Amino acid sequence: MNKTQKKFLIGGLVVVGAVAYLIYAGIKETSVYYLTVTESASMAGSGQDFRMEGNVVPGTIKVAGNALDADFVITDAAKQVPVKYHGTLPDMFKDNIKVVVQGKYDPSGTFIAHTLLTSCPSKYEASKQGQNT
Amino acid sequence: MTGLGEISLSLSLIVALYAAAVSFIGGARNNQVMVQSAQNAFYALFALYTVASAALMYAFVTRDFSIEYVYNYSNRDLGMFYTVSAFWAGQKGSLLLWGWMLALFGAIALFQNRNKNRRIMPYTTGIIAATLAFFSLLMVFPSPVFDRLPGLPPDGYGLNPMLQNPGMIFHPPTLYVGFVAFAIPFAFAMAALMARQEGEVWIHSTRRWTVFAWFFLTMGNLLGANWAYVELGWGGYWAWDPVENASFMPWLVGTAYLHSVMVQEKKGMLKIWNVALVSVTFCLTIFGTFITRSGLISSVHSFGETTVGYYFLAFLILTIAFSVYLILSRRELLRSVNSLDSMVSRESSFLFNNLILIGAAFAVMWGTTFPMISEAVRGVKITVGPPFFNKVMTPIGLALLILTGICPLIAWRKASLANLKRNFVVPFMTAVLAGAAVLALGIRDIFAWLFFSACAFVAGTIALELARGVKARMSGNAENPLAAAFNLVWKNKRRYGGYTIHIGVVCMFIGFTGNLFNQQVETTVRPGESFAIKNYRLTYVGTDYSKPKPTKEEFVATVLVEKDGKKLGYMQPEKNFYKNYDMPNSEVAIMSTMREDLYLIFAAMNPDESATFKAHVNPLVKWLWVGGMVMGIGTIITMWPDKREKRLIQALTE
Repeated sequence: MNKTQKKFLIGGLVVVGAVAYLIYAGIKETSVYYLTVTESASMAGSGQDFRMEGNVVPGTIKVAGNALDADFVITDAAKQVPVKYHGTLPDMFKDNIKVVVQGKYDPSGTFIAHTLLTSCPSKYEASKQGQNT
Repeated sequence: MTGLGEISLSLSLIVALYAAAVSFIGGARNNQVMVQSAQNAFYALFALYTVASAALMYAFVTRDFSIEYVYNYSNRDLGMFYTVSAFWAGQKGSLLLWGWMLALFGAIALFQNRNKNRRIMPYTTGIIAATLAFFSLLMVFPSPVFDRLPGLPPDGYGLNPMLQNPGMIFHPPTLYVGFVAFAIPFAFAMAALMARQEGEVWIHSTRRWTVFAWFFLTMGNLLGANWAYVELGWGGYWAWDPVENASFMPWLVGTAYLHSVMVQEKKGMLKIWNVALVSVTFCLTIFGTFITRSGLISSVHSFGETTVGYYFLAFLILTIAFSVYLILSRRELLRSVNSLDSMVSRESSFLFNNLILIGAAFAVMWGTTFPMISEAVRGVKITVGPPFFNKVMTPIGLALLILTGICPLIAWRKASLANLKRNFVVPFMTAVLAGAAVLALGIRDIFAWLFFSACAFVAGTIALELARGVKARMSGNAENPLAAAFNLVWKNKRRYGGYTIHIGVVCMFIGFTGNLFNQQVETTVRPGESFAIKNYRLTYVGTDYSKPKPTKEEFVATVLVEKDGKKLGYMQPEKNFYKNYDMPNSEVAIMSTMREDLYLIFAAMNPDESATFKAHVNPLVKWLWVGGMVMGIGTIITMWPDKREKRLIQALTE
């Protein structure tokens, strides 16, 4: 290997290293746990921000008059958790659908969500949507 | 008609297998009769796909709801425009569209090369036919599009209201064209290796296909972003969702390939790198399909879990094994003619542009598959979202943007200090001035300052190059400035088309940078009440109800918009309800200028007559769409037929 090739190798390694570092730091700073309702019990009292998926328990949705505050309960069949969310509600938000909430537990065990995503895996599959309703 | 479609698809599997096998054997034995027969079979294959597609289209247009797919994606109320687009609204139809396009492109490539590239064409035909055999297999076994329902339902289920947007008509097919067209350069590259053909002929022969594929991939991504912006109603255009990433990754690697082939054309270097890149691009188009169809990675708009994903996984593994084997076994053909001379050179800047683009693709892939990997390795699901991608891609984007300015102007082999001074002092000063202007405007965000300065730098390099070329033509050919500029571009379409694309890139980066200054407000107001966002004042007038179709109900809110006390007009965001879809669908209202967009969502109607709104002010978004158009124009310039290039290809391939 001559001198120029060595320089290129070093230059290349610097770029690869920089990208690798960005990915590493990015994951470290921004990744969050993605848990089921049952698994989320371990996060109670930790004050840590995480994501949790569950189904909305029918009849538990209470929306305030301003339509910007919602209380509801989500479940993974084994366990239930009350959720408080502030923000505009997604169009698809309703009873029985799967939601992903991000936020943390308050001391009383209520999940305070700052993000509410309705992830309906069959959004484009009409036949499945038919089965759901 | 549908029986005909079904038969065509079954036949297409047999014909595709025949074309592939006979083509490979005929190529290896140099048997012209076999090669010719395989080519004829390929044209027949295209005809079969066309018949099948026409049959499905006919079923949609005649409202034949006995076909499950037609029932699922349309109803009698649906206008003709959307009935046609329902063809690709679901997985089964989009696979058929995909296959038909591949057959069409393959047939065109075959026809273009009927008297050229005779050594490699049998293998090219074989590779495309084998890929088509895979698509036929999908449509015969796991994903039959002509499946029937037991009875004849009176009406269809209807098309998802979210898909009833003009963007949805153009976005998926545009993206598919991009995906599919990358199969052509891939097939040529692999064919050249199989035929042990040395040199750059396959690159020259497929340059236009590559640019064509890249053009559609670019436009497909942008149309998707635009559809998300105007239809999904969350205030942004890109959410780093797995489906978006799936089409962004091949774009990144395809862009790297587009640049690195220039080095091979000019210097005979990076040969292994180029065949590897075109293979990776093709594999990523398959990988993207796999992750979005397998249900392995949950996305807000996936196609649902189907076994089709695993067929794609198997096909992906086969493709990777095939290309790795070919590259390794033919590596002596892929030796570089030249070697790298200096770190400060065009070659080197291309190389770094490539490394960074590949790094970006890797980062996107890592972030997309991370939940799956962490669950498999550590047993816990950990997700990364937009913050991860924004954090990683911002510095990468900045580095790429700066290279966009350096790359086209720096000298080949080794740039002298004089070359650097001549080309970069003026752009650098432009960047400094722009940076000062940004500070003077009171912007203190470090990334905004860096990105606006870098944009000015790139614009400076292109303006300088254009000014020089025009000046040279004006004195050399005694032309007026306008004629000189036109001729300059016309006589060097590839170069100036490329610069035009780069101007588009600069505009897009200006648009991205605008994201740093987004503002939003959520509020509930009663009729007559107002709320403020930035220097806008919005007053809720009231809501009107109408029922334009038996299956659609509309609630239209009217909001008066004033800016700095001056009346701008009314905005009318809607909330619509569709029969069979028990969720409302919000139609946003957007007031757009080059400076910023006011984006208004009608979030809820409340029992007490108040209404809930979410308003965004998104600065500079329009630059993104304008940049996309400029890129499109630039790409068309580089693809425009060119006599000199035609003569070169003729000479090389005869």
